[in-house]
Amino acid sequence: MSVFLVVLTYFAYVFIIAMYSAKLVKIARMPVHLRWELYPVIYEPKSGHGISYYEDIKEWQKNRQKTVRKGIFFLFMENFKFSEYFKRNRGYWVVMFPWHIGFILIVAFHILCFFGALVMVAGIPVSAESTIILGRTFYYLILLAGLISFIAGAFGNIGLIIKRLSDRDLKSFATRQNYFSYFFTLVVFISGLYAWYFVDPAFSQYREFWKGMITLSPSTVESATAAHIILFALFLIYLPFTRSLHYITKFFAYLWVRWDDRPNLRESKMEKNIEEWFNRPVSWSAPHIPSGRTWAEITSENMNHEKEP
Amino acid sequence: MKKNLKLADISKNGDAQLTEVNIDELIPLPPPYDRIEELPGFKQLTTDQRERLVCNLDGFVALALPKPESKEEEKRYIGQFVSGLKKLLSKDNNWTFLQPLLLSLDYCARCQTCNDACPVYVASGNNDLYRPTYRSEIFRRLVNKYIKPGGKLRARLGGGDIELNWATLSRLYELSYRCNLCRRCAQVCPLGVDNALIIRELRKLFSQELGWAPQELHEKGTVLQLEVGSPTGMKPHVVRDNMKFLDEEFSEATGIEVKTRWDKEGADVLLIHSAGDILSFPESVVAFAILCNAAGISWTLSSEAPGYDGVNYGLFYDDVQLARIATRHAQIARKLRVKKIVMGECGHEHKALMTVADRLLIGDLNIPRESVMTFLEDIVFSGKIKFDPSKNDFPVTLHDPCNVVRNLGIVEPQRRILRYLCPRFREMTPHGVDNYCCGGGGGLSVMSNVNFTDWKVNIAGRMKFKQVLEAFADRPGPEVKKYICAPCLNCKLQFRDILKYYGAWKKSGIICGGLAELIVNAMVDIKKPFIEWGER
Repeated sequence: MSVFLVVLTYFAYVFIIAMYSAKLVKIARMPVHLRWELYPVIYEPKSGHGISYYEDIKEWQKNRQKTVRKGIFFLFMENFKFSEYFKRNRGYWVVMFPWHIGFILIVAFHILCFFGALVMVAGIPVSAESTIILGRTFYYLILLAGLISFIAGAFGNIGLIIKRLSDRDLKSFATRQNYFSYFFTLVVFISGLYAWYFVDPAFSQYREFWKGMITLSPSTVESATAAHIILFALFLIYLPFTRSLHYITKFFAYLWVRWDDRPNLRESKMEKNIEEWFNRPVSWSAPHIPSGRTWAEITSENMNHEKEP
Repeated sequence: MKKNLKLADISKNGDAQLTEVNIDELIPLPPPYDRIEELPGFKQLTTDQRERLVCNLDGFVALALPKPESKEEEKRYIGQFVSGLKKLLSKDNNWTFLQPLLLSLDYCARCQTCNDACPVYVASGNNDLYRPTYRSEIFRRLVNKYIKPGGKLRARLGGGDIELNWATLSRLYELSYRCNLCRRCAQVCPLGVDNALIIRELRKLFSQELGWAPQELHEKGTVLQLEVGSPTGMKPHVVRDNMKFLDEEFSEATGIEVKTRWDKEGADVLLIHSAGDILSFPESVVAFAILCNAAGISWTLSSEAPGYDGVNYGLFYDDVQLARIATRHAQIARKLRVKKIVMGECGHEHKALMTVADRLLIGDLNIPRESVMTFLEDIVFSGKIKFDPSKNDFPVTLHDPCNVVRNLGIVEPQRRILRYLCPRFREMTPHGVDNYCCGGGGGLSVMSNVNFTDWKVNIAGRMKFKQVLEAFADRPGPEVKKYICAPCLNCKLQFRDILKYYGAWKKSGIICGGLAELIVNAMVDIKKPFIEWGER
């Protein structure tokens, strides 16, 4: 059993990283697209009013420096605050916020367990009584992250199920897979809560399990903890088949589409990139598109055959 | 007809109307427009129209799609649609929007946060059919089911199965023209999902694969523009004749010489108006000639087709047509060796040529392009023209064309002009990048087939009309003349339809015009009022 848990956990992590990476690489390698930005663009100096550099091209040409840091920071913080939901969809926010905090903290919980196990491998005990501050810090962080995650996640999950079932707008767009996802994640959170309450109130078994993962000497855990480990591993394997990647794709949607106001300058890398796609043939079938010809050929053709009198 | 629509209803009872719009369920307008019995009401579809055309959506018809003659024909269209879906998701055929499309298709949380941002949905009294998410979710499910591996099995097991049949296809086609592409929904999406983009891609699929598009946008739109010069049908010599006539007429009326410059090689500025202004709002193009000449600008119009018409309806439905027109505009500017192209008062011309086509114009076709808003601001504040703002002493409000503000970020120049020249200028609420569309966006303003105008003025334009009335609430009666400044031809056309339908000139004294006319009206050198009041 112990070996199975280790193998399953390793597999789950490798699987989710591989699947997410493949999806992200696929998105990132897509061709340059036409501009489709939407204002306000957060990098702009006057973005508070939605103003773009088109209001003062001369000034902008003198100083084209812009930083994406502001945008990345904004999006990163949004992943914790969900302020757009708070502002525009408060009833939904009340349940989705704890649900997502549950996810964030369950990830944090496992990262902390991993590093906590490294600390243990280094010979530093991780416990409330540890004489070394690092050991005590990891102990309390793991405890807090796990506990808040399970409680917030379960609360949000139940709330979301009720919300989806009772709100006509949400219900009509929900599918069986949505409800399956909700129930599955609820079971994951509840199992963690159960294991903590009845079996492992200090998450010591969990830390030992992670230490065993690192040292490849699997430790034995009680069945409630084992059940949670299995469910969490299955959850990781399931995630790539859901929309969960929106945590990351949101960055692309904003940085590469909504805020992408990069101009196409002559002889730039972008221009070369566009040129490459311009020379590809199209195969659309409508009568006004000569199939098989390239974008460049199609668009440069003068269709006006009128003669001036 | 169903009131509470489900997504799967789109594929059921193909010949039946899916839902209906009742005028008393729409959000109320301020008095005196709240008296429904005094309004013309909706034109009902005739028996003949119902027999000939696909009328299975909401009681309105914008596209006049003929009914197929056989089941085989229906099947052929469905096959073409699936083939189009594949092309829409391929790099070679859709490099132009593939990444934005997939980011919007794959990661929507179905949270419905965007619904309340949609003026059509809200104005309709929250009709399920007009949710920004309704049509895009159907499209998403069709992609998932018919294109992605194992899609049919997943649709059956996971739920959300929607059958692609003639009902689905024909309703989706009509429904794709119930969106203004104003992108308010996209602006509020916490995940960056853009439902308007999805709808534009859907329109594109119909156009580029099936050859289906509204005739006002395609045959009488982009095709006519590329072949003849303008969707108005005006050929180069006709445009020149018309402008010559306008120059003479306005020279006489204003007392100063109005002279349009044509095909001047090496000019600083190639000004590209919407040619529709020449026919529908001629004072607008004349105002530009007056201002450019008075400010001593080296400028020119082009008389080469389609260089005298800046519209580009391809933006609304077809990338190939969009690219063709933008390329022709740039080719003409290159031939004239102008330093820059200045957009006319046309929102979608701005969006099409300044940003969307930015990555279509390469090499020496990439000519600097400037908005008319900054261009006019430079003229007004150059000190070369004397103004008397008291000549504009009437209530003025500004309509923000979506393609200039939300889609381009040009917000303040037009306001600085109005604050300076119009002492009774007031804003609508909300405005700027949060504005409401006029209801004619996405190409709808030029579409008037069957009874579609009724839908545009009653539903699509309702929020905007309400906003206008609220902006003028301190002087509601017709005794005070009021001016909606809408610096965009398509918006003006939509306003013209709205104001006419509601009798707003007689009841409230409201007219609509552009920005350049207001500027000329305030010129000291113009002896008679340039703006003419009355029903347009």
